[in-house]
Amino acid sequence: MAETQQMKKFKTPSKGTPKAKHPISIDHHIAPQTPQSATPSAINLRRSHRLTAAFPEHRPAISSFNTHQSAAKTRKIFENPPLVLPTEISITPASPPPVESRKKRKFHEKSAEKSKDSRNVKYKHAADRKVKKKVYYKKVVYDGGEFSAGHDVYVKRRSDASSDDEDPEVEECRVCFKPAGRRVLIECDDCLNGFHLKCLKPPLKAVPDGDWVCCYCVARKNGEVMEFPEPQAGKKRARTAREKLLSSDLWAARIESLWKEVDGTYWFRARWYIIPEETAVGRQPHNLRRELYRTNDFADVEMESIIRHCFVMSPREFANAADGGDDVFLCEYEYEVQWHSFKRIAEIDNNENDGERVVDNDADWNSCDEFDSGSDFDSEEEAAYEDKKRNRLSQLSSLRPVAANSRKGQIFGLQKIGAKKIPENLRSRKQTDLEKAKSTLLLATLPKSLPCRDREMIEITTFIKGAICDEQCLGRCLYVHGVPGTGKTMSVLAVMRNLKSEVDAGSIRPYCFVEINGLKLASPENIYSVIYEGLTGHRVGWKKALNLLNARFSDENKCRKDTRPCILLIDELDLLVTRNQAVLYNILDWPTRPNSKLIVIGIANTMDLPEKLLPRISSRMGIQRLCFGPYNFQQLQEIISSRLKGIDAFEKVAIEFASRKVAAVSGDARRALEICRRAAEFLQNRKVMAGMADVEAAIKEMFQAPHIQLAMAVSSFCANNGETFPGYDTLLKVGCKLGECRLLLCESGTRHKLQKLQLNYPNDDVTFALKDSKELPWLAKYI
Amino acid sequence: MPAFAALRQFPSSDPTSEAIVAVTPRKTRLISDSDAAIGSPLRKSPRFCKEGTPHSSPTANIRKCLKTSLNLSGSPQKKQLSEDFVERQNWNPRDETQRRAVNEALHVSTAQTNVVCRENEQNRILDFCKKCIKEEKAGSLYVCGCPGTGKTLSMEKVKAMLADWANEECIQYPDVLPINCTSLANMNDIFSKILEQNHSGKRRSHSTSSLQQLQNLYSQQTPGMKMILVIADELDYLITRDRAVLHDLFMLTTLPFSKCILLGVANAIDLADRFIPKLRSLNGKHMVITFCAYSKDQIINILQERLRALPYTVFQPQALELCARKVAAASGDMRKALAVCRNAIEILIGDSMLSSLDGTEDQQKSAENVSMSNQVRIDHVAAALSKVYKSPVVDTIISLPQHQQIILCSVVKLFRGGKKKDTTLGELNKYYVDVCKSTSIPPVGILELSSMCRVLDDQGILKLGQSRDDKLRRVTLKVDGADIVFALQGVRFFRNCLQ
Repeated sequence: MAETQQMKKFKTPSKGTPKAKHPISIDHHIAPQTPQSATPSAINLRRSHRLTAAFPEHRPAISSFNTHQSAAKTRKIFENPPLVLPTEISITPASPPPVESRKKRKFHEKSAEKSKDSRNVKYKHAADRKVKKKVYYKKVVYDGGEFSAGHDVYVKRRSDASSDDEDPEVEECRVCFKPAGRRVLIECDDCLNGFHLKCLKPPLKAVPDGDWVCCYCVARKNGEVMEFPEPQAGKKRARTAREKLLSSDLWAARIESLWKEVDGTYWFRARWYIIPEETAVGRQPHNLRRELYRTNDFADVEMESIIRHCFVMSPREFANAADGGDDVFLCEYEYEVQWHSFKRIAEIDNNENDGERVVDNDADWNSCDEFDSGSDFDSEEEAAYEDKKRNRLSQLSSLRPVAANSRKGQIFGLQKIGAKKIPENLRSRKQTDLEKAKSTLLLATLPKSLPCRDREMIEITTFIKGAICDEQCLGRCLYVHGVPGTGKTMSVLAVMRNLKSEVDAGSIRPYCFVEINGLKLASPENIYSVIYEGLTGHRVGWKKALNLLNARFSDENKCRKDTRPCILLIDELDLLVTRNQAVLYNILDWPTRPNSKLIVIGIANTMDLPEKLLPRISSRMGIQRLCFGPYNFQQLQEIISSRLKGIDAFEKVAIEFASRKVAAVSGDARRALEICRRAAEFLQNRKVMAGMADVEAAIKEMFQAPHIQLAMAVSSFCANNGETFPGYDTLLKVGCKLGECRLLLCESGTRHKLQKLQLNYPNDDVTFALKDSKELPWLAKYI
Repeated sequence: MPAFAALRQFPSSDPTSEAIVAVTPRKTRLISDSDAAIGSPLRKSPRFCKEGTPHSSPTANIRKCLKTSLNLSGSPQKKQLSEDFVERQNWNPRDETQRRAVNEALHVSTAQTNVVCRENEQNRILDFCKKCIKEEKAGSLYVCGCPGTGKTLSMEKVKAMLADWANEECIQYPDVLPINCTSLANMNDIFSKILEQNHSGKRRSHSTSSLQQLQNLYSQQTPGMKMILVIADELDYLITRDRAVLHDLFMLTTLPFSKCILLGVANAIDLADRFIPKLRSLNGKHMVITFCAYSKDQIINILQERLRALPYTVFQPQALELCARKVAAASGDMRKALAVCRNAIEILIGDSMLSSLDGTEDQQKSAENVSMSNQVRIDHVAAALSKVYKSPVVDTIISLPQHQQIILCSVVKLFRGGKKKDTTLGELNKYYVDVCKSTSIPPVGILELSSMCRVLDDQGILKLGQSRDDKLRRVTLKVDGADIVFALQGVRFFRNCLQ
């Protein structure tokens, strides 16, 4: 029965007389404006074709008959060419609003997919009739423009919008609304608007290097409202096609194939591009302003809806597009509308043309190979690729006259978003001394002065100055070591701050300073890309960064512009030690090269790191060492009191007590500060100065091992059992609980009775903890 | 200056070093070579024209004495030295430009125009390369030596000499490809680099690896292919688990139509033999050139060569000698020697800064005194040397916090008698608590103790083993127990403990 039904369906379109053809063509006219071109009738048509293709053996006669019939009808149509068409185009019905259309599009995607399969069969099967029905062209000259398969075009989205008609080819200044003319337009990196240099406030003399964001965008980001100037009355601001596309008033599509319909209208098969806002994830920070995504969504569109060419390019082409103009877009990924996923187009294309295009694609292959070779660093390579793209962009923009400055696409980085600082005067209450003390004792607070490290700081200063001051900056290396909390990093940074102020005053030549913490690196090799990023602002993968850095620090590259000396501060240097120590070798080898102008300061805890390294590395490391010994109690005292200067919150004895206590154990300044801060917290409710007792409590809290406190807590738990002998189960449970908090070491609970227990802490500690418990006075007897 | 005077005799009255110089033929040749090289440009005193350089130092004297069949006496040498000082300008460490010039001359990165003391090795390498290029034959050469013995520097020199030679002889200069193996991201990249160098213009196909392509290339005759000179620095970074890369690299040179001259540079003396035994059987005459550690004389020679360009005397000869002797005895690492010299200059500058603060006293000094004070003396060098070679253990232990000292004290007590070499943290804690109780100091908890032990581990005094439980971590002493005893003796508290 199904067959007969299909037969019916099949017949409906073919039955259509020339009259009936018109609605279809109108349907098709709707199609171009909405990308979901497959209107019901079109679906029918297609399905019918597929059916004929699917059952050729069953009903060869019928199908052939039908095709003949339809072919005959086509010819008829040809005989009286539809002169009505132009008028029809002018009255094309408006498409549904974009949102709805998108939904529809999704709905029709599958059908589009299906139709794709069916098409192939269709072509093969009915070659003879197609020749008469549709004529496929490689190139079509339409409305003054020459279009061929593979071109990218703007496509109208709404036909009623009058603004679509005017299409200024020349971009206007956003302030004075005059075209660029001979004067230079500068393009804002954020809103892509063009500005005359003179129209800006304050006016710019020359096109600045690097990113430039117009004052309107700056204001908007700061949360102020700053409107663009309104055009004069009666004059409407002309929007370029690019602007319309990016505000989703236009579509962009790629022409897959071109043909002439039976009725003489020209059609093309469009592969849609979408702007990042229309994807499921929306615009992301890394999206460039001119970035588009290619979709796997196809539609048949009438040629009439084409506005003109645009140029969607791969990142590589985009970088080289010197003649770009305003209609250049970047497309790197294909967006799968069903799965909302992204694929890199280069990869897809490579997969598709496995065999044939290997020769053409060689270069692409190479790069892909390189990218895939380090599979461990996938994400990183990705980032590197991303950045390459950006670099190219910046190159490009320098080439194009309209876009005057480089665009890195990093405008909306997270660092730009920040909590607003509440000004001090808005706080109603004045801080008490205690609060002040607490805040100055915080580890994060930067002290005004760094006492007790004067000698070391002078040494660092002379080290750096000795290297920088010369015209010829000689590379050198300093190894700073010392136990934690002795102010290593802080001293170096303080020296750098002082030097910075000297640079500002002009007594020292400017230098660049890169600070790296070994702990923050995902892998030791990543340090290359971090260094390179710090020096140039470009992020590349570490292998590439290594090559670039090697070139930079060797004297071959004499022509390099950046001749400033570079200071590299590597905190936690010992974490960079890899199995073959290549990372450290490279970093420490650079200063020994002529003209490297690199100064390396390494900080670590271990005293004997250079001796642990390979001899060739320690030989390059030089002999400059600086030891930060642990603080003694006078120094700690001085540090605390210098922080608390002018704040009357601590008794002098209390400070001394704390510093003596810490100095005896570790000499760690962080600890001393923490103890004092904790003591101040104990004091919270009382209105007195912190004294010995508070410090004592804080010290107890810090130094008394947690297990003793725990044992005290547990003992009360035991007390619940009373003096009655607990059952075996309870014993087991208690054992497990103790094991969980690591008071006891015990084997896994499955062994039940055979479970072995071992005390994790010294007996004395347990005795001490249990001795004073009031609930179980009898316990003391046993111990 | 008693020390100074005493040491002035030092060089001449050291028969052993002379004996060394006299015995080894290589070194004598070296010296005569450098003598010839040193000669001309900066000669100032006509008196020494025949015999040596104007600023002849102990080495120069030794050299001269060797010529005069070891006919030595102390007095003429002293005379020479003093006259030498008069000849040259005084160096003023407070003068920025002069200081900079000296610093630059002594910097590691400043390559000298002529690398002294390595002529022999350089010539051997050069001869090898020349032979290979002339015969259009591949070959491999392995250069080994300790760090800081001028291997890479010599390679640079050889490269330049080879270029000169090729120009003179009108022979096609081979492509030179210097590679530092540490900067290879992937070991196999070395082959692709060689391949790129081989035919830079042509496209590469990707069906085969670059190694295979190279092997194909070298196993069939291709006319008109240029020789390629690969200088692979730090060759031992190419050692992979199966040693394939290193092996393949050397095997490239044994292929019948190979055009690759491979110069491998590394520290290990037997790298080639250890890892490429097959190569030996194939190519018995595999050449190895060893760069010995610099001897005392060589170090002095190089330092003087570097300082020669300066129109003033910076170092007293004795100071240079002390530096050279110490460094040669320890490692023979030239980088270290240079670092010591620069450090000594910095110490001198620091001193002169201090003395200039005194002001008036400075002006009253006699001219001779000033000239002396402006040179780097032995004591400066000694201070710099002590920075490098002195073990900081004792100082470190003295500056440790009290509880850490107690830990060390208990460790020493624990290991006393030599029956035990290591212990666990739990046991150490017991001892530590005992010591604390005996001196009525409140002990810290075991967690604190383990964190303190970790700090000591960081400082290289203790060694903490790995264990799942803190308590069971093994503790061993990494410094000599006697050092600890010595350091802690000063404190009465510990003296009682250690008794």
